[in-house]
Amino acid sequence: MAVRNKRVRTPWLSYTLVAVGGILMALPFFDMLFSSFKGPGEYGILPYHFLPQNFTWSNYSAAFDQLQLGQLFMNSVLVTLVVTTSVLITSAMAGYALAKLHFRGRDVIFRFILATMMLPPFLLLIPDFLIMLNWPLVGGNNILGQGGDGGMTTNIMSLMLPFLVSGFGIFLMRQFMVGIPNEMLEAARIDGAGEWLLFYRIVLPQAKPVAITLGLITFVGQWNEYIWTSLMASTNPDLMTLPVGIQLLQSFIDPNRTMPIVMAGIVISTVPVLLIFLFFQKYYVRGVVLSGMK
Amino acid sequence: MTGLYANTIRETASQLDAVMGLSAPSRAPSQRFRREGRAGYLFLAPSLLFFTVFLILPSFFAIFLSLSQWGGYDLTQITFIGVKNYSDILSFDGTFVSPILVNTLVFAALSVVLAVAGSLLVAQCIERLRFQGFWRFLYFLPVVATVVAIGNVWKMMYQPSGLINGLLNALHINSVGFLSDPKIALPSVAVVQAWASIGAAVLILTAGIKAIDRTVYEAAEIDGANSWQSFWGITLPLLRPSLLFVFITQCIAGLQSFALIIVMTKDGGPVNSTNVAAFEMYQQAFKFGAWGTASAMAMALFVIIFIITLVQLWVSRRAGDDD
Repeated sequence: MAVRNKRVRTPWLSYTLVAVGGILMALPFFDMLFSSFKGPGEYGILPYHFLPQNFTWSNYSAAFDQLQLGQLFMNSVLVTLVVTTSVLITSAMAGYALAKLHFRGRDVIFRFILATMMLPPFLLLIPDFLIMLNWPLVGGNNILGQGGDGGMTTNIMSLMLPFLVSGFGIFLMRQFMVGIPNEMLEAARIDGAGEWLLFYRIVLPQAKPVAITLGLITFVGQWNEYIWTSLMASTNPDLMTLPVGIQLLQSFIDPNRTMPIVMAGIVISTVPVLLIFLFFQKYYVRGVVLSGMK
Repeated sequence: MTGLYANTIRETASQLDAVMGLSAPSRAPSQRFRREGRAGYLFLAPSLLFFTVFLILPSFFAIFLSLSQWGGYDLTQITFIGVKNYSDILSFDGTFVSPILVNTLVFAALSVVLAVAGSLLVAQCIERLRFQGFWRFLYFLPVVATVVAIGNVWKMMYQPSGLINGLLNALHINSVGFLSDPKIALPSVAVVQAWASIGAAVLILTAGIKAIDRTVYEAAEIDGANSWQSFWGITLPLLRPSLLFVFITQCIAGLQSFALIIVMTKDGGPVNSTNVAAFEMYQQAFKFGAWGTASAMAMALFVIIFIITLVQLWVSRRAGDDD
């Protein structure tokens, strides 16, 4: 009897706790949205108002003018697309080799790739920066990487290069591809298919779900990347992406309404990722859970 | 997304051994192996080339730099000075050990405790509710937002004329200088770090809770256990692998992250109160050009993170043996 009662009862305490937490999670996003509509003289004054009193779109047009949002957006799209494509291709290729091909040194290479995931990014910040600076034959450098001013850091490639391959991506692909039945591959091999054809015709189509997961994680991560990009772009606005530009160009904004304009920029930069997340939530969530469970 | 750590790695490595052991023996002629071998290296070539240029080379360079003195950009000016950089930064006269390393540990500990406790509570509650997808979406929002968005919004909310002080004032409480008071600036940023990472932790813990066999709870219920007792007696011990993963990844993130600090406090202020090790390394390198000192700091932090992770794994294994 007592047991049945317990089942039927609505868990009010749980609802309250989760709802209060949910409000705490959502509130900053609403404050961001509403602040981006606050008119001149409405920000930074007491008493605080949550809702805008004089609703205005002017912060958005100011963001496009003063933060060069159009240019930042193009850079973000370019860098994110190139990195995501590259990570998908290289991870699928390496994952296939590690899962389905037999050759000497395979497990050593796999262990090495697992180990790369344990290296924290901050450790490579300085040497990678110096490598970019001394990259041969770019930005005025000679073949020894000397003599130029900036080397690779003057080129938008510098934003992408350190992210083109992902150890995590290779691991994810390899774990998935191990599950592809060998019989399928053997049959194709007997029919005389080469490894490339096998990879392209049989393995890739099967890897679609894991590719969507990896693509989403990479896309969101790269869209939001800050530390490395800000380092490359600190003196070169041509290389700034959305997050970096919004942060670094703040001092050039109309000082009376810096924050509302920044919030407008942030809303615009967050919307694409949010939409993607909304539509593909299932895949993204699975990626996070996979990385935690396996 | 630096991903998966030691226990995972060991696990997969042993899986790999099993796979190799099963598939390696005999069959197929050696010609086929040669063909597969060539294809294997070709498929791996782009990745291996990348890791050589952006990982192996830089790693050795980082170690070498940490043992050298070098300012500016002229490679011929590097001088090898042994462990002097390390002894300099680790001496108690400097600022690196105290307050910077202390700040780092406090920041990580605060954000880990808040995020783990919060996500455990939410995961435990969320699992009984309807509209789970909606709730999870709410908690996951900050995970897909950029650090620039998160940092600036919270900076705005923390200001004297911001949302939080507005609420406090409405309750007739005096305004708090969340980011201007050296005593509470660091906890203020740690709260944001925890807020931003709670969503991923909730997901992983919810998946862990779902994987627990329901019959264990039913058995406990029949024996008269209340929900609090089942939580302590069943959920927590059986959730240990997921919990450990969340704990370790949050710890590593807390010890090494500094983007939030750049965005929210710009220079680790007020008076160094929010300066953490990775940020100090960043400043030494890219503001002062002290490559050697900065590299030594990076190495020191790496070793600290490594040791803390090992200790956590070891403690967890000990606890597991006791069960």
